Amino acid sequence: MVSRRGFLAGGAAAAASGAVGIAAGAAGASLAAEADLETFAASRQAEFYGPHQSGIELDIQAVTNMVAFDIKESVTKADMLRWMRLLTDDIARLTAGEPVLADPAPELAIGAARFTAYVGFGPSLFSKLGLESQMPEGFAELPAFGVDQLQERYSGGDVLIHIAADDPVVLAHGTRGLVRDSMPFASVRWVQPGFAHSPGMIPAGLTHRNLMGQVDGTANPELGSSDFDSVVWINDGPQWIKGGTLLVFRRIAMQLDTWDQLGIPSKEEVIGRKLSNGAPLTGEQETDVPDLGARHPNGLLVIPEFAHIRRAAPQESGERIFRRPFSYDNGMNERGSMDVGLLWTAYQRDISKQYLPIQRRLEQLDLLNQWTVPIGSAVFAVPGGVQGSELLAEALFS
Amino acid sequence: MRKISLLFLLIPLLVTGCTSPGGVVAEDLWVKSSEMSMQGGMTAVYGTLTNNTQQDVVLVGGDTEIAGVVEVHEMTMIGGEMKMQEIDGGLTIPAGMSIVLEPGGNHLMLMMLTDDLEAGEEISVTFDFDGAEDITVDGIVAKPAEGGDEDYHSGEMEMDN
Repeated sequence: MVSRRGFLAGGAAAAASGAVGIAAGAAGASLAAEADLETFAASRQAEFYGPHQSGIELDIQAVTNMVAFDIKESVTKADMLRWMRLLTDDIARLTAGEPVLADPAPELAIGAARFTAYVGFGPSLFSKLGLESQMPEGFAELPAFGVDQLQERYSGGDVLIHIAADDPVVLAHGTRGLVRDSMPFASVRWVQPGFAHSPGMIPAGLTHRNLMGQVDGTANPELGSSDFDSVVWINDGPQWIKGGTLLVFRRIAMQLDTWDQLGIPSKEEVIGRKLSNGAPLTGEQETDVPDLGARHPNGLLVIPEFAHIRRAAPQESGERIFRRPFSYDNGMNERGSMDVGLLWTAYQRDISKQYLPIQRRLEQLDLLNQWTVPIGSAVFAVPGGVQGSELLAEALFS
Repeated sequence: MRKISLLFLLIPLLVTGCTSPGGVVAEDLWVKSSEMSMQGGMTAVYGTLTNNTQQDVVLVGGDTEIAGVVEVHEMTMIGGEMKMQEIDGGLTIPAGMSIVLEPGGNHLMLMMLTDDLEAGEEISVTFDFDGAEDITVDGIVAKPAEGGDEDYHSGEMEMDN
């Protein structure tokens, strides 16, 4: 969550900017307000210390790097703890907009810019370290799905560091520090960069658009709500996972060339929502609850049988996840076909009870599958947050 | 307007160091991780030392379980190359001022390491001062770090091989 100070600073800047040009004689104040607006993103800080790791229950940042590691063969639990000691201190400092200790380029710590990083562990780490008994409930590698065309270079990993910020330079500098301190313990398996909107493009709480044009993340549990707690944050099981969550990561490629051949009505029927504002085809606002039983006068369902939101809608009350998808843009080929898609992330207490039933329905029938292909996949268990001098995942590796 | 935006550079650093009231305060200390075999049993401690007394204080040496010898070093130009060497008489911290120990600059050199110092490991170091009480800082973390371009120079031999 963004610190209170960050909110107040942002609010004050916005309020002051509204007065620019109105309050004659307050030119000094206006100039200051304008300067604040120019650099408002630099001063916004996420909260590092708390019951949960940061960068999950937070409005999505502008840019991200997901970095997966494989541990070195000789690495033990004690080594993991040393790694976590370095990362805990590094992330605390970077979140506050400070350089890490031993930073060879401290001049790049130019602002917090809502920097966050959280750490997660793949099932392979538990087996390598003999920690199978510490695996959280409902946590395992995903089964193969018929729609999958997974590539090794985008999949799996013993350890994930998911880094994000509102500024690409802050992100790159922070990533460099965290990776540098990881190299004694592990090698980089993959890195997947992504992005969402820049700060200032979308009001807080509003859903971002993906590169197919859809608002992506509707019907998420609201940040800061008890609903969010019950969908995402784990409150039982092994000590280390309390306050943590389970992440399903999917790299989903978009076939924009064929998608763009569809007209707007067809695109809307594929999803079951309006492209203009994300409202269900049976409603007016994004937040309207879809009426899955509504029919056209000719008897056809308004939200078709194949529509994504119908297939994804929970059949049991617990079948919900929190999605926080970033986009990726990996260039284009000589014919101008863009290699784009989603770094799709879903957070939940129990993958087997929350993500899996939804994904099984989408696999069976979801017209969207024609334009979206999962090409990367991984799951990670994300330990709870830290207070005071605690280390990340200290209870797991002690 | 540009001047105002620079204020963001001045966000105060968190004080994470160990304090000795009225004496010398150490902040943001770290030690470079080192394997005895690779480094010839050498490493160094870095960070910021602030002299909160009314008089000059001199860092003359130190003590830590992991090293047989602890010396205060500086980087200096010798024969057209940056070399490090022991500072004669120690490193003065003027009253009310801070000094930064950093790669490529002044540092507390640890020699004759008694064990590997692995990344993420913590050590305890005592800083010896003339003019102020010595301070002992626990939990100084070993960081994997390159840089500083440090070659060792001494009167007797070159240790950088």
